[in-house]
Amino acid sequence: MAEFEQEDGITRDELVQRVALMEAMIAEGRRYTGRNAWIFVLWGLVDLAAWAWQNYSPHFGGPWAWPICLTAGVVLTLAGKTMQKSDKGYSRNDVCSRVMGVWGMMGLAMGIYVASAILTHFSWQYSYIAGLLMMLGMAHAISAMLLRWRMQGLVAAVYWAGGVAIFVCNSGRATNAIMLFEMGIVMMLFGLYAMGREPRRSDVKGERA
Amino acid sequence: MTNMEREDGTTRDDLVQRVALMEAMIAEGRRSTARWGWVFVMWGLIYFAAMAWVVFLPFKEWAWPVCVAFGIVVSVVKGRAQRANGRSESHRSRSIEAVWQIFGVAITLYIIGAITSHHVNLPAYNATILFFVGMAHGTSARILRWGAQGLAAAIWWACGIATFFFTRQNEMIAIFLIASFFGMILFGVYAMWLERRRAAGMVQAHA
Repeated sequence: MAEFEQEDGITRDELVQRVALMEAMIAEGRRYTGRNAWIFVLWGLVDLAAWAWQNYSPHFGGPWAWPICLTAGVVLTLAGKTMQKSDKGYSRNDVCSRVMGVWGMMGLAMGIYVASAILTHFSWQYSYIAGLLMMLGMAHAISAMLLRWRMQGLVAAVYWAGGVAIFVCNSGRATNAIMLFEMGIVMMLFGLYAMGREPRRSDVKGERA
Repeated sequence: MTNMEREDGTTRDDLVQRVALMEAMIAEGRRSTARWGWVFVMWGLIYFAAMAWVVFLPFKEWAWPVCVAFGIVVSVVKGRAQRANGRSESHRSRSIEAVWQIFGVAITLYIIGAITSHHVNLPAYNATILFFVGMAHGTSARILRWGAQGLAAAIWWACGIATFFFTRQNEMIAIFLIASFFGMILFGVYAMWLERRRAAGMVQAHA
């Protein structure tokens, strides 16, 4: 195909280069999500642990189950991220920074939201629990749009469906079951899926090297 | 300084070019948000109008559906006209657009779910909406490295926290209006002012 030049002076080769760069950045963004997928698994386990503690040992510090488990989750996440950043091969591009920004803001918003609701004893309201799932779905959806990642888009849809289902079912037992499924199982499954994709890409990188 | 080459073959010039490209993309992203500043102002005014209807006019139950539907129609029609003008958009400004589109989908689903199951007007419901808007502003601010928008996010979150503590209907309305005024209308006016100043600068440069 002949090389054409547009009105704004951008040649076909330049456009091809830009598209290739964007595709490379998106691929790197997905790998970045894969490298950090242990956080989804960790938080799935944290949520399951808190849920099990509250439901099976309510007399053994039951009201403290969520505050303690959530604090432990935050500490472990920060420790893990610090260790990860000290690795030699740790790097991130522009798309990775944006994805990190999305999750950082989600974490900050959710931290303030959960702390306020627990402090004021509003964490039992269905609209609060549905709000948690909608926020998580929002972060997944934005990340999916940035990374053009259908699987993550599907996860976002599952979270949103869970949020709506809490309103529709309008019962404590259903809300408990939906939370367990969404916060525990969906979170861990997506984390494991993303972690599973990461080694295969590393292998390919190793072959190239 | 000499043009040194790193182990991975990236030269200093390459790095300088990449930084310049990123800075240009951030600037374009901010300009794009500033061009859409009218949307923030409009939605802030719509919140005020809906609240005024609820307080002072009959058929209160229609206030929010009618005002929100009007806002959506104007946003879509005017947004399409703006896009048809053919302004160039960077990857980053498309990311910002994605943030606000997804925020729109999430909040619509949430509100419809809450209305149909009669969970509106509870403290947690109102706080969640404020936190949603704050999260969209915060994500956009983080992507664009924009302190002013970060401040708007902080206002929404602070009002979200306040909603958990001040739970009377009048208090919640007052908090929502404060968030709308400072976090939506004032931010939108500021963004529009930036866009106008930039446009004036371009005209002067041409002259």
